[in-house]
Amino acid sequence: MGAIEGILTGFEVAFSWEGILFVLLGVFVGTFIGMLPGLGPISAIAIMIPITYGMDPTLALVMMAGVYYGAVFGGSTSSILLNAPGISGTVASSFDGYPMAQQGKAGKALAIAAISSFAGGTISVVLLMIFAPMLASVAISFGPPAYFALMLLGLTAIASLSEGSTIKALISAVVGFMIATIGIDPQTGTGRFTFGSMNLLDGIDFLVIALGLFAIAEVCYLVMNRHKTAAGSGKEIGSLKLSKDDAKEMSGPVGRQSLLGFILGILPGAGATIASFISYIAEKRIAKKPEEFGKGSVKGLAAPEASNNAATSGAFVPLLSLGIPGSGTTAVMLGAFLVLGLQPGPMLMGDRPEVFWGIIASMYIGNIFLLVLNLPLIPYIARILTIPRPLLISLVLMFSLIGVYAISFSVFDLYLLLAFGVIGFLMRMFAFPAPPFILAFILGGMMEKSFRQSMTISNGSISILFENNISLVLIILSVLSFAFPIANSIWSKKKAG
Amino acid sequence: MKKLLALLIFVLMFLAACGGENTSSNNDNANDEDTEENSGEDNDEWALSESIEIVAPAGAGGGWDTTARMSAQVLTEESLIDQDIGVVNKEGAGGAIGWAYMAEQEGSNHNLFVSSSPILLVPLNGQSEYGHEDFTPIANVIADYGAFAVAKDAKWDNLNELFEDMKEDPQSVTIVGTSAPGSMDHIQFVRFAKAAGVDITKIKYVSAPDAGGVTQVLNGSADVFSTGVAEVAEQVRADKLKVLAVTSEERLDGEVLSTFPTAKEQGIDETFVNWRGFFGPKDMDPAAVEYYENKFKELSDSEAFAEVRANYGWNEMYMGNEEYKQFLDEEKENLKSILEELGLLE
Amino acid sequence: MLQGVNRKIGLILALLSIGYLYMSYQLPTYPYIPVDADAVPKTLGWVLLVLSVALFFSKDSDSEEQKAKRRIPKKDVKALLGVGALLLIYIMLFETLGFIIMTVLFVYFCSWFLGYKNHIVNAIVSIVFPIALYSIFVFMLQIKLPQGILPF
Repeated sequence: MGAIEGILTGFEVAFSWEGILFVLLGVFVGTFIGMLPGLGPISAIAIMIPITYGMDPTLALVMMAGVYYGAVFGGSTSSILLNAPGISGTVASSFDGYPMAQQGKAGKALAIAAISSFAGGTISVVLLMIFAPMLASVAISFGPPAYFALMLLGLTAIASLSEGSTIKALISAVVGFMIATIGIDPQTGTGRFTFGSMNLLDGIDFLVIALGLFAIAEVCYLVMNRHKTAAGSGKEIGSLKLSKDDAKEMSGPVGRQSLLGFILGILPGAGATIASFISYIAEKRIAKKPEEFGKGSVKGLAAPEASNNAATSGAFVPLLSLGIPGSGTTAVMLGAFLVLGLQPGPMLMGDRPEVFWGIIASMYIGNIFLLVLNLPLIPYIARILTIPRPLLISLVLMFSLIGVYAISFSVFDLYLLLAFGVIGFLMRMFAFPAPPFILAFILGGMMEKSFRQSMTISNGSISILFENNISLVLIILSVLSFAFPIANSIWSKKKAG
Repeated sequence: MKKLLALLIFVLMFLAACGGENTSSNNDNANDEDTEENSGEDNDEWALSESIEIVAPAGAGGGWDTTARMSAQVLTEESLIDQDIGVVNKEGAGGAIGWAYMAEQEGSNHNLFVSSSPILLVPLNGQSEYGHEDFTPIANVIADYGAFAVAKDAKWDNLNELFEDMKEDPQSVTIVGTSAPGSMDHIQFVRFAKAAGVDITKIKYVSAPDAGGVTQVLNGSADVFSTGVAEVAEQVRADKLKVLAVTSEERLDGEVLSTFPTAKEQGIDETFVNWRGFFGPKDMDPAAVEYYENKFKELSDSEAFAEVRANYGWNEMYMGNEEYKQFLDEEKENLKSILEELGLLE
Repeated sequence: MLQGVNRKIGLILALLSIGYLYMSYQLPTYPYIPVDADAVPKTLGWVLLVLSVALFFSKDSDSEEQKAKRRIPKKDVKALLGVGALLLIYIMLFETLGFIIMTVLFVYFCSWFLGYKNHIVNAIVSIVFPIALYSIFVFMLQIKLPQGILPF
């Protein structure tokens, strides 16, 4: 049994004192980077590459992996407290996390996020360990038609993402999709809607939109209510107490969305951001009280948090077992492997079991460290909300400005941030929901890409979408998920009439 | 007030803790500065008077960024250059943002940047105002080669079989690459197809970022993956892909790499090299150009850099200022005619 | 004719979609590509046009709470515009004067403008936070932020 021996070597590496030290260092830096505006795991790992040159490869990689999942763990803090996501994977966490914090339950919200992240991270590492060798085939099972169907399934949920006018939700979504078409079209190389500006050739960064629509728009409301103080006293805000009911409510979504997030994380190109959105929608779909979502629901926070962390572990499947980097961060990790003289790919598990299994085994410790590091800090971090409003507003603005600047180092993006802030404020004022906008932006771009890839491959025949089993199933699900609410409402009207 | 204080202390704690782990690299910098002062004085020729900035016109982690960072690292560690070297990422628009930034540094002797084929292709596609003519080529240091890979059970065993099928019906084969049409992955394939007599206007090319290319060939969505050699070597070793041809003049070195046939030995007289080198802004002092040229020669010859090349699977390809310039001019003409034929020229 | 919020917004969105459609029809097309760069934008443009017409003819169904959100007291309008102006100044001078100077000034004046009276705390916060962040980015992570007119 080579695999079991391999796993044991992995644990040996991970549980050596150096292993533990480097995991600790990695998750610490990661949490910190995640909390810092604009800095994601990509830049953190890229900066570390020259520093780790010449180090023991396993230890270096264990540390970098820690930075990666640590950042996703830490990124939720600013989403929850300030409505200003520090990294794109935690945008969905602000949907319910921020309202919960506004109700004076910031400590609780952070605790739910931390525990869900921990559970999502740990469950997915177990899955990773048991199934890693087999999962390689899952990672490459999705062709363009299947990706198209997956994105379609995500988009059909738009109407259900918000209450109120369906027309307004759809308008938000279409405009979000339109924003996604800005920039160079990868299939033809044409610049679309760039108004001749070089700054728009790459399209608009997701975080610029998220920070504008959420953080800046929220600041406008804070400005209007600047003389009020936050709900709840300092003590209450920092309280981590979760009731038995909360724990019960969390367990379902955490279990389900860890699994879903993990699977989505395995797919190259999907990643933590898309996973967190799809999990949020999925959980809302099956919830008994979907109307609570968006207003501080425990489930609505637990789902994306479990999912984005699970997706992070999932992203290691194609990287470690196939040498395929499915996201920007894993692409940089691949670079790190190369500098350290390793070649990730199908042969890694056999050639260097201590690296392959060492990284996976270290994630158990990493996740425990993250929980232990974060929980005691929550009462202090949560008190950010007791800062007097005028000062808090300035600091949130500063956070958002640096966050955007650190993405592209372009002042142009700062103007864009301001513009999206105004759009976000107007959208709220006229009851156009923001989540469909942001969902369509992120899924729409991928949907167009995979649709057109499919059409090029099939020379324009639409039947390619139904020839593949995965895409067929997903398309049927999309149709059902679109038709069911409509049919349901017609049926209930008839019954009433 | 108390709470605020607590918050501040908390932040400072974080800072102190984080600062601690990085002290080693800070010390390095401090030492560099000391030595620099000594060496600066006894040098009559053109000498560096301030720190150097190397721009990678792309995000962290890509080829340009790694080249810039690893070169800066070796130049510093081997004490080839005693000034601080900072690497700056100017990401965006396939390099155009970085080039526009460099165009503003006209006349500077302390700003360098890394580029490769896109500095020829992107202006030709009409997406950058600036091309290599607007800068001073200093030295080329690295070469990468392309490869055309197919699934291991594909029906083609060599490039000629593939091109025979494509001559009959170009639309029956899907080519996948990472970048957009008109950029490197696409053009390198087109060049070879053209040399073999395929109707290149009808070639079906799919662009798949985020490593979608290798996935699509593995799961059978696309047929041929046009990419860099390093991207497929490991898949070949694991017996998942086979390489129909590499774009180099001669076979490459390495256990797996040497098994890849060149297109040339299959009777298709064409090569493609993805060169990568350093440029300065327009109107750089000729003495400074000479200074950097020599430094990059030393870098290229150093053992430390040879190790870096080996790790990344890069090849050595040094060209000095004059030779580089001429090479770039010729290459651009060549690419221009292909893009024109494809209807992609702006 | 243009009474009701939905009518006004519907009209604006319709104009937006027409502008977007016009630009979509200007996009170049290529032979041998089954679904070209203009296909999705054209579809989106038409869908938005249809939706905006639908919105135009739909009844205003806003709750009282939603209507209240639109009534912004004059004092708050001034505050919002003031913060907006501060942000614009910040962005315009950001690269010239540098990160530290602009951020310190911004945090201090923005808090003061919004009615924060404790000048000592304000000064401490507005100096410590930007400098701390700057040091993390520039010295620890080696990521350059605009240094502007300061020597470091």
